[in-house]
Amino acid sequence: MLIIPAIDIINGECVRLTQGDYDKKMVYGKDPLVMARKFVDAGAKFLHIVDLDGAKSGRPENKDLIVKLVKKIKVPVQVGGGIREISDIAEYLEAGVERIILGTKAINDPDFLKNALGLFGADKIVVALDLKNGKLMTNGWIRSATEDFEYCLLRLKAIGVKNLMVTDVTKDGTLERPNFELIREVVDFGFEVIAAGGIKSEEDVEILGNSSQAVVLGKALYENKIDLNKILQKNFFGLTKRIIPCLDVKNGKVVKGVNFVDLKDAGDPVELAKKYAEEGADELVFLDISASLEDRKTMLNIVEKVAKEIFIPFTVGGGVSTLLDIKALLNAGADKVALNTSAVLNPQLISRAAKQFGSQCVVVAIDVKKKDDNWKVFIKGGSEETELSVLNWAQEVEKLGVGEILLTSMDRDGTKKGFDLELLKIISTAVGIPVIASGGAGSMEDFRDAFVLGKADAVLAASLFHFGEVSIKKLKNFINLFNISIRL
Amino acid sequence: MKTIAIIDYGAGNIQSMTNALTKLGRKFKVVSSGNEFLQFERDFVKFDRVILPGVGAAKFAMDELRERKFIEILQNLTIPFFGVCLGMQLLAEWSDEGEVECLGIVPGKVKKFEKSELKVPQVGWNKVYNMRKSPLFDGIDDKEYFYFVNSYFLPIYERTLLAKSFYENDFSAAIFWENFYGVQFHPEKSGEIGLKLLNNFCTKC
Repeated sequence: MLIIPAIDIINGECVRLTQGDYDKKMVYGKDPLVMARKFVDAGAKFLHIVDLDGAKSGRPENKDLIVKLVKKIKVPVQVGGGIREISDIAEYLEAGVERIILGTKAINDPDFLKNALGLFGADKIVVALDLKNGKLMTNGWIRSATEDFEYCLLRLKAIGVKNLMVTDVTKDGTLERPNFELIREVVDFGFEVIAAGGIKSEEDVEILGNSSQAVVLGKALYENKIDLNKILQKNFFGLTKRIIPCLDVKNGKVVKGVNFVDLKDAGDPVELAKKYAEEGADELVFLDISASLEDRKTMLNIVEKVAKEIFIPFTVGGGVSTLLDIKALLNAGADKVALNTSAVLNPQLISRAAKQFGSQCVVVAIDVKKKDDNWKVFIKGGSEETELSVLNWAQEVEKLGVGEILLTSMDRDGTKKGFDLELLKIISTAVGIPVIASGGAGSMEDFRDAFVLGKADAVLAASLFHFGEVSIKKLKNFINLFNISIRL
Repeated sequence: MKTIAIIDYGAGNIQSMTNALTKLGRKFKVVSSGNEFLQFERDFVKFDRVILPGVGAAKFAMDELRERKFIEILQNLTIPFFGVCLGMQLLAEWSDEGEVECLGIVPGKVKKFEKSELKVPQVGWNKVYNMRKSPLFDGIDDKEYFYFVNSYFLPIYERTLLAKSFYENDFSAAIFWENFYGVQFHPEKSGEIGLKLLNNFCTKC
């Protein structure tokens, strides 16, 4: 998750309030810039800065100081406190602020919020919801708003708010435990949630990591209850998660369809492969979706070319049905071979292949579709339903010696609605071999969720990369923000 | 011209290694038996380096190396040797993978990653760190990523350690003893950095 240290400013100094009470103020440092540098040196990748004077008065009071700070700090910063004019938002964003936090004004003035979202984009705006005993609070937590909390969430969703910062004021600064249920509830509405208030231990951060996407840490850092360096370094060593572009190849061209049909041309496989390798792809997958024998030979030629040009691992699948097929692909230079239909029809093929060529080069691809409360395995390019349920089949192929599972949700494939996280988590935690998630990638957040919530070891996507909607480099930088181990 | 011997013990794919050497413009000869190795040296030229690529399982590999009369040649090498993945593990005394005695050139016993919440095999990119000064790492930064695929690992032995990695525990990512080099990762599959390391072995070790 994204861990965001907080710097609250009153009179140009770093302070913390307790339960939003301006009379219970503790000064932790004279210079916010020094504090910001301290956090960045400890590894912080994002900072949260609040102009508390501004929150109280209703206009930015420490703007000059904050702008100066943002220009000197190399990590992105979100700023809140007294921002109630479009011109203030524009000024902060122009100065290099990454995101603007709107509180009181956003709740009280929907037209202003709509206007801001339209002008600057949903990514740039965070709406802060402060709650005291289940009630919304405004004006620096001094006044309670009249609106019902749930109604407010629905309303914000409807006008296109994406990011919410949820603070339980009853907890803030008290180092009591955060309100996990409340956070969960907001996440379930479909928001990107930054949790704040009352986070007091590394364990709290870990629990929140399973629901909210980011967390703001304040007093716990200032009082040394949480070692920032330690939590940020947790994933520093060890295996990284993998980003894998997938190239569906037909008649020597890369194509991509929606729900396994309706194919579009996306370019030359060798050129695309090269481009992805240069951009930082961790591996590549080629799926041969041609039907004729002639095209299979074309595929072998492509594999040979790729192997001579690209020195990252790649998997080839599609129509692989015998040990000879596998051998031919490996000899052409493929590192791994993916089996699908043939594995279902002839499970012995898997164990034989694993024995002869090693588990590491045998991948089983499983295509599934949800039927009632279960996921059924489909074969023959998704055209034929089998009796197999996905969990049984995944555990079976592990026993047979497979090295990895490539799990595709046919319901999500090409839809860009996000991965089937429920399916992913079930399978990934049920087997002891790596699981590659596939089907449904639509945004960078989807990849993050597949790793964090779906427990995927690797994520595969096609159209998103082919059509340039997301670049691999940008995606990896985004993933890195959330403290997920990734190769940059 | 200097020629590198690539030891083929029939476990399958050595294509990626030969592709990488071709890309680097290195001359090599794939040899499938000890006799072929000696024959080539008699008829043409002495090899100046040996690469043992890593594919398959330890027991199978040792059986094949013995069958193909490679064991003595490897144990008595004085030219630079480079073992990759399994090829590195075979340098040790023993492997739990198939419970087999290995070449015994470096100390240590190869063990399996204990299954916990971690996935085994380890598949993917991992940081290689605490690199010691070596021509193998010339121009390569500490904590660089390389591509790994392994279920077994060689524990840390200070005497032979060149660099470590972490997966559940620290393990040997690279080792060195006399003229023998070994890496647990796959330089031939680790992109530009991997090719650089492979080239370092071919030109600087």
